[in-house]
Amino acid sequence: MLVITCPVCGVEGEEADFHCGGEAHITRPATENPEGISDEAQRDYIYMRKNPKGVHFERWRCDRGCGKWFHACRDTVSMEILGYYGITQKPPATLLKKADPLWQAHFEAQLKKAKS
Amino acid sequence: MSNKPYRVPTAGTGGTVGRLIDRSQTVDFTWNGQKYSGYAGDTLASALFANGIRVVGRSFKYHRPRGVIGLGSNEPNALVGVGTGSRMEPNIRATQVELFPGLAATAQNAWPSVEYDIGQINSLASRLFPAGFYYKTFMWPQAFWKSVYEPIIRRAAGLGVAPDGPDPDTYEQFNCHCDVLVVGGGVAGLAAAEAASAGGARVIIADENPQFGGISDIAGGTLDGEAQSKWTAETAQRLAGSGNVHVMSRTTVVGHFHHNYVMMFERVADHDPRIMNEGAPRHRLWKVRAKRVIIASGAIERPIPFANNDRPGVMLSTAVRAHLARYGVAPGYRGVIFTNNDDAYRTATDLLAAGVPVARIIDVRPEPAGPLVDAAKAAGLEISAGSAICGLMAKSGGKHITAVKVAPYSTTGRVPGAEEQVNCDFVAVSGGWNPVVHLHCHNGGKLDFNDKIQSFVPRKHEDPVVTIGSANGTFDLAALMDEAYAAGEAAAGTRAAKAKAPKATSEPEGALEPLWYAPATGKYNEGNKHFIDFQNDVTAADLELAQREGYESVEHTKRYTTLGMATDQGKTSNIIGLGVLSGSTGKPIPEIGTTTFRPPYTPFSFGAIAGTQVGKLFHVVRRTAQFDWHKEAGATWEPIGDWRRAYCYPKGDEDKHAAINREILTVRGKVGILDASTLGKIEIKGPDAGALLDRVYTNTFSTLKPGRGRYGLMMNEMGFLFDDGVTVCLGKDHYLMHTTSGGAERVVQWLEEWLQTEWTDMKVFVTAVTEQWSQFAVAGPKARALLEKLEGDVDFSADGLAFMSMSEGMLEGTRARVFRISFSGELSYEIAVPANAGRVFWEKLLEAGEEFGVEPYGTEALHVLRAEKGFIAIGDETDGTVTPLDLGMNWAVSKKKADYLGKRALELPHLADENRKELVGLLTEDPNEVLPDGAYAVSSVTEKLPMDMIGQVTSTYWSPTLNRSIAMALIKKGRAKMGEKVTFPVAEGKVIRAEIVDPVFYDKEGAKQNV
Amino acid sequence: MSEALIITPLCDREVPANLAISMTEIVDRGMIDLRGLPKDKKFMDAAKAALGVALPTEPRTSAQNGESLCLWMSVDQWLIVCPRKETAALLDKLNKALEGIFSLAVDMSDARSIIRLKGDRVRETLMKGSSIDFTQGGFEPGTVRRMLFGEIAAMVHVVSEEPDVFDLMVFRSYAHHAWDWVEATATKGSEVGFLKPAEAPAVV
Repeated sequence: MLVITCPVCGVEGEEADFHCGGEAHITRPATENPEGISDEAQRDYIYMRKNPKGVHFERWRCDRGCGKWFHACRDTVSMEILGYYGITQKPPATLLKKADPLWQAHFEAQLKKAKS
Repeated sequence: MSNKPYRVPTAGTGGTVGRLIDRSQTVDFTWNGQKYSGYAGDTLASALFANGIRVVGRSFKYHRPRGVIGLGSNEPNALVGVGTGSRMEPNIRATQVELFPGLAATAQNAWPSVEYDIGQINSLASRLFPAGFYYKTFMWPQAFWKSVYEPIIRRAAGLGVAPDGPDPDTYEQFNCHCDVLVVGGGVAGLAAAEAASAGGARVIIADENPQFGGISDIAGGTLDGEAQSKWTAETAQRLAGSGNVHVMSRTTVVGHFHHNYVMMFERVADHDPRIMNEGAPRHRLWKVRAKRVIIASGAIERPIPFANNDRPGVMLSTAVRAHLARYGVAPGYRGVIFTNNDDAYRTATDLLAAGVPVARIIDVRPEPAGPLVDAAKAAGLEISAGSAICGLMAKSGGKHITAVKVAPYSTTGRVPGAEEQVNCDFVAVSGGWNPVVHLHCHNGGKLDFNDKIQSFVPRKHEDPVVTIGSANGTFDLAALMDEAYAAGEAAAGTRAAKAKAPKATSEPEGALEPLWYAPATGKYNEGNKHFIDFQNDVTAADLELAQREGYESVEHTKRYTTLGMATDQGKTSNIIGLGVLSGSTGKPIPEIGTTTFRPPYTPFSFGAIAGTQVGKLFHVVRRTAQFDWHKEAGATWEPIGDWRRAYCYPKGDEDKHAAINREILTVRGKVGILDASTLGKIEIKGPDAGALLDRVYTNTFSTLKPGRGRYGLMMNEMGFLFDDGVTVCLGKDHYLMHTTSGGAERVVQWLEEWLQTEWTDMKVFVTAVTEQWSQFAVAGPKARALLEKLEGDVDFSADGLAFMSMSEGMLEGTRARVFRISFSGELSYEIAVPANAGRVFWEKLLEAGEEFGVEPYGTEALHVLRAEKGFIAIGDETDGTVTPLDLGMNWAVSKKKADYLGKRALELPHLADENRKELVGLLTEDPNEVLPDGAYAVSSVTEKLPMDMIGQVTSTYWSPTLNRSIAMALIKKGRAKMGEKVTFPVAEGKVIRAEIVDPVFYDKEGAKQNV
Repeated sequence: MSEALIITPLCDREVPANLAISMTEIVDRGMIDLRGLPKDKKFMDAAKAALGVALPTEPRTSAQNGESLCLWMSVDQWLIVCPRKETAALLDKLNKALEGIFSLAVDMSDARSIIRLKGDRVRETLMKGSSIDFTQGGFEPGTVRRMLFGEIAAMVHVVSEEPDVFDLMVFRSYAHHAWDWVEATATKGSEVGFLKPAEAPAVV
């Protein structure tokens, strides 16, 4: 049973007091531009998920407290929670450095896309 | 077997024998229905010994007679049934059962009796039961499984019997937090708890036994110059009175999980059921969140398997010693000791001091030496060094040991020399100690092999968990105390406690010689079984056979032979099993590996797992404010989510079908009322409220005028329907959304999720108001006439309240929201009033409608009414893989809106595929035939399975309105097949044929709701 | 609404004799769910003007004005608990004050049931159904805590300490479940006595 602290309201609770919303930082293509989304892009958005063995970023909701979503950084092997950050924020550099290489690639690709 | 008592007299022992029993207080109990008596303080095991009973059960596979082997929870053999009738609890270790007046215990796995067990024939035919016997034998023919094999296996196998009625006792659970949880109340645990407590930490210390102190009473050594028991008693008292330590006996830590979540099983009343009369629960399950966990769970002595080492009277050395010291019982009249270490010498001298003759100490080590050995010699004990037991003789069907055979032996193999027979009637055996690493392993802790103790010890854990004392392989008393105080201090974060540590001394002990089993003389395996796992009857020969058959991995061997898979999770057997495998493969033990120790550490009761959640608390039941009315009206119930909704209201001797038909015809012909309070209701407000609705619904809502409503569909991002309902505009930027009953919570979370995580700039608030309102459908041609009789200021006229509009006002003295919506196709209104007024308002509706013949209708009538109109229901026509286009609801799916949830997904190839199943209506050829729900449609009925499945029934009812059956179905390319016939092969070879029709069966033009 | 119409969820329940705490349903309170942004000064000012007290922004706290309480529910949500007969007027006042301001105030007077628990065993009883540690600090009077109780969503409001008076608030459809749960776990004889000085255990 994971012990989690909500960074929004500061309450400490356990897994059952929270709701895990799965992988973080999934960008919904249609919000940006509903036109011209390829089938592949839509498929990846809906169905493809990272599954790293190690440090991972997830979305959680403070289900029995303030009801707010936040981001958590969790090691999927040791179950340690390494940190929290806001639901609209990108992971802090310190956490990103520890994360699985899949994640560094993810944000590099985003950066590249934003530049182009 | 003789029934001579094995209670040892106290005279001349200086009070060191039978310290825990009170010989002035006899306690009566029954064993297999016969009356016996023991003393206060006895366990069932010691009381049985005292009454001369050594056979307490029959083994699992061979039905061999079995007796007590161990101490406390490590006992693999003596599983008994405790209690009678519905209070009967099987598989309790006799060594853990505390005697109380009236205790009723029974032997298990024996028929007709534990003394004469017919199943013992399995033992004679044991060569027919090798490892993997079940896998090898019960393979074919398949038909034999049900009729022959299974009944035999079920009769022969299994442990214990189930109680014969509902458990009358109460159980509960308790949640708590602590800074430090100490597992085990031996000296190491007590020392760690004291150190942590001195540092100000909130501490829980739990021990599974009735008494604290572990085996400190029989382990030798001193603390501050006195017997260990003095220090343990003082420390336990200090801790219990401190107010920051919760001291728990009879409490087993059964599991350790992520982030130091620990489960503990407290046996509150088992030792004295009378306290349940005062309100105590029988068991309590503790869910502890500990910042730090200190495991001081001790070590379990391991046997040395020798030929027929399962005979009653063969016991672990410390178990013999503890039974003598604590309860004043010995397993017989003349013992031998079989050992590979020094500690067993203590058992020999203690027995002798208590007047129990010890015929021989058989030590596999060639040159045992040291103070303990010297003491034994000084006491006149005879020692056979460099020897091993190579056979055991017994009479009375193996129930009574008469002698052991001893032969020269070395741990590297047999050495030449004569066999000797030593007469005895019990054997105390010691093969070393295995640290109790189970809890450390529950949550992924790894182990290292320790050569000195020839066993596994914990490696550093990833959670804040440390293991100390003998559980960590630290057996020397002074080192153990140092380790314990250091762990307690570290856990509390202070450095002051260690100064208070008592000075520890202990006799030096020589090294042990590993010996995993002592082979029998004579022909291999001829009537000689070397038991490794007593509970599952696994022998050394089974393990070696598994190796020969290619089960090289220990994980495979375990599953093939069932080694360590019984309820004791291999406490006495796992390491020996690895030792045997090591011997037969030539690989060292660390290379063989160790198998996983899984929770629970010991089995615990279903009662504790269920806790409070039995009877009316078994499952949450949500009630509408009108629940009691429905109940009083004799409603039958339908669970929808956690809600209980009225399914129908049978009158007199009506059956359900008659009641449903009557309710439907009442709505179609007169007027009916439905409790629709469970519908989800969400208020949505803010400058972007309309924009939010446009993004979550497939159709457009931002254009709604105040007082108007619209039916909408919601898709998830995969394009699949997940909810529907009518949303009305209450005012500027202010809406009230209705959802399905089951989807109420899901939808409000869904809206919040998108607002918080994706459309974070939108200014919208959503608040669930489901519980605030009671809501009633008033449906039927007389609905308006009924409502117009109510006192209030709401205009119900066709012009005043048009179809799909709403108004607010006062009705019968209460605030009300009135919606003109219809799920039945009739003239229909839904009235919402504050829930506390709900029941009275409901009764007003019935009163006002009396002259029109109003009746309440339930959820089944609601479903038939909507199906007659071809209206879909989420969860019937949808199953999480159905799109609005599949249901032919293109009219509700906007082409104009640029973006809404699921829009892009609908264009994906698999959703745009023209071969998808489409919603159609079905009329069976025989109008009286109602298709089974979920029936499969096939392209053609064939002899051989599988048939080509082209769709399935989604809703199917008898329609009293049309006086025939109707159904809806999803059929591949169904809309192009209007008028065609489809076939449904149903049970027992029967085939139903139906015509594909439009799904709207009644009032196609919708005239009835627009009046 | 006329008073005569009110049927509260637990009006037919009686407290069994074997209970170690006292338990009553509070029926004279009305409730308003209020949403707004604390960083929106216009909203905070308007709410304060209507309620007579500033909305608390510290998590799990409450503010009081006479008989009315503002319970912190989330960073943008409060539950106003006031005398039932004043609710409609207060809601009206709030809505007028908040006109044109991004906010949402709704009457939730009938949505919840308030069960008042009183006695030494209250905290321990709650711990039989919730993972929250009520034995440590952080539960001074006025504290509000949302939680999972048994299997249901609930909230406690600490009314006073010594003797402990806690209001357990649950949605009305779950009221009987919550009441049944307390009945089952607050019985005399089932004390846990967690971390209280106790008799020494037996030793070997």
